[in-house]
Amino acid sequence: MSKTDKSKEKIKNLKILIIDDNEQITKMLTTFLELKEQECTIANDGKEGLNIIKENRHDVILLDLAMPEFNGYSVIEDLEKNNLLKDHKIIVFTASTITQDELDQLVTRGVTSYILKPIDIDVLHSKLIDTANL
Amino acid sequence: MLPIKQTLFIVSGVSSFIIFYMGIVNFLTSVDESTGMIMLVFSVLVATGTLLGTVHISTSITKPIQKLAENMANFSKTNKISNKNQIKTNVKEIFELNKNFEDMGEKVERIIEVQNEYVEKLKDMDRKKVEFSSMVSHELKTPLVPILGYVQMLQKEELLGKLNTGQKDAVDEIYTSTIKLEKLIGDILTTQKLDLGKLVFNEDYINVSELLYGLIKEFEPIAIEKKIDITANFNEDIQIFTDKDRINQVFSNLTKNAIDYVAPNSGCVTIGVKDSFNDIEFFVEDNGIGISDEHQKDLFKKFYQVDTSSKRKKGGSGLGLAICKGIIEGLGGKIWVESENNVKTTFFFKIPKKSNTKLGIKESTEKQEINN
Repeated sequence: MSKTDKSKEKIKNLKILIIDDNEQITKMLTTFLELKEQECTIANDGKEGLNIIKENRHDVILLDLAMPEFNGYSVIEDLEKNNLLKDHKIIVFTASTITQDELDQLVTRGVTSYILKPIDIDVLHSKLIDTANL
Repeated sequence: MLPIKQTLFIVSGVSSFIIFYMGIVNFLTSVDESTGMIMLVFSVLVATGTLLGTVHISTSITKPIQKLAENMANFSKTNKISNKNQIKTNVKEIFELNKNFEDMGEKVERIIEVQNEYVEKLKDMDRKKVEFSSMVSHELKTPLVPILGYVQMLQKEELLGKLNTGQKDAVDEIYTSTIKLEKLIGDILTTQKLDLGKLVFNEDYINVSELLYGLIKEFEPIAIEKKIDITANFNEDIQIFTDKDRINQVFSNLTKNAIDYVAPNSGCVTIGVKDSFNDIEFFVEDNGIGISDEHQKDLFKKFYQVDTSSKRKKGGSGLGLAICKGIIEGLGGKIWVESENNVKTTFFFKIPKKSNTKLGIKESTEKQEINN
């Protein structure tokens, strides 16, 4: 019990970057996370997200895989190329059909974790806590 | 087998020899020397002529036949007529034979071409199906994210404030329906994968007792609530090599159906297992209203509903049993139902103890974080 309390305290004022092209999703996530007293930054495409990642440190990055043009995979590839992937805590999330193998592969490459859409906000919350405390 | 050439040579050789021999005999026995000489020369000429004629006939027959045989062998390898009109022959029968062969070959070529076109079209359709299924997955699931998110937020007093009873009920209803919709999308995708043979099985050794106890544990709360009996029935523990999650999915689906269809207070559901040589047979039996023969045959079809009236009590997409069938058949097994009206209904499924799965390509993950 006390451990959960501590980690909840720790997650307060986390800086979270959300990279997703769907504005309804980003709006819902920021509404929820700001109610949970987190600080959210939003990027609506991969390129923008990548620039923000390189400029500012975030405690956790929520990265949508399926985006038009510069998608989540491209973001991961770019970070990988610049040896930056392992410096960041990235949770990929997607509604696409993706195999367990592909997900495992992403984790092997250095992505911290994954979550599949639709997202249960409680699961998301605990995943954020876990990832931030890693 | 005797080649034509040798046969002809033997026959003509023997007849030439006989003619030549008769010429000599004639020469030696003839009274008139000049007549004997003429006969001898004549016989030598006839014998030589026969031999030469044979050589000519045999080559003009065997050469084109050999070539034809070669072409045929080639055709059976490549399915293509090569060296068309290359066979020159004066023998009418061989000419006809070759012509018929080439005509037939051309027809076969055309049939194969058409067939390949169809195969390509089918492959294309399969690709489109896969694309469609991933489109469905993405496009239908995406709007569920904000719906589910906001509903869950509304359900939490500390986030968006306290709701009155009516509002709370409404939000809870939205939540339940959203989860149902999400499950339905999942079911549609699973069905699609089964159709495409893309459902992957993760097999491991499992103990059937664990499987049965797990199910009892899962359904006990509902059974208690509905005041019905649920029991497990098996003699000995058996270890099998199969996909635990998928078997559990089938078993759970059948058990849930059984519980739904028995009467409260008097209902009785038995789940069990029977050993049968290389196979293992599971069953789920209930004392519900039963399923008529007419419904039984369509029961495992996609989107089939026994009760299609708007008043029907049980929801469900009509995909549950179709998925069960797909999974069991994918595991190399069989699923069927036996029912006695108003007495009992038993669903059986039989799988090999050491299953050799028919389908094999890696499956897209269906596990939702939401279920964990």
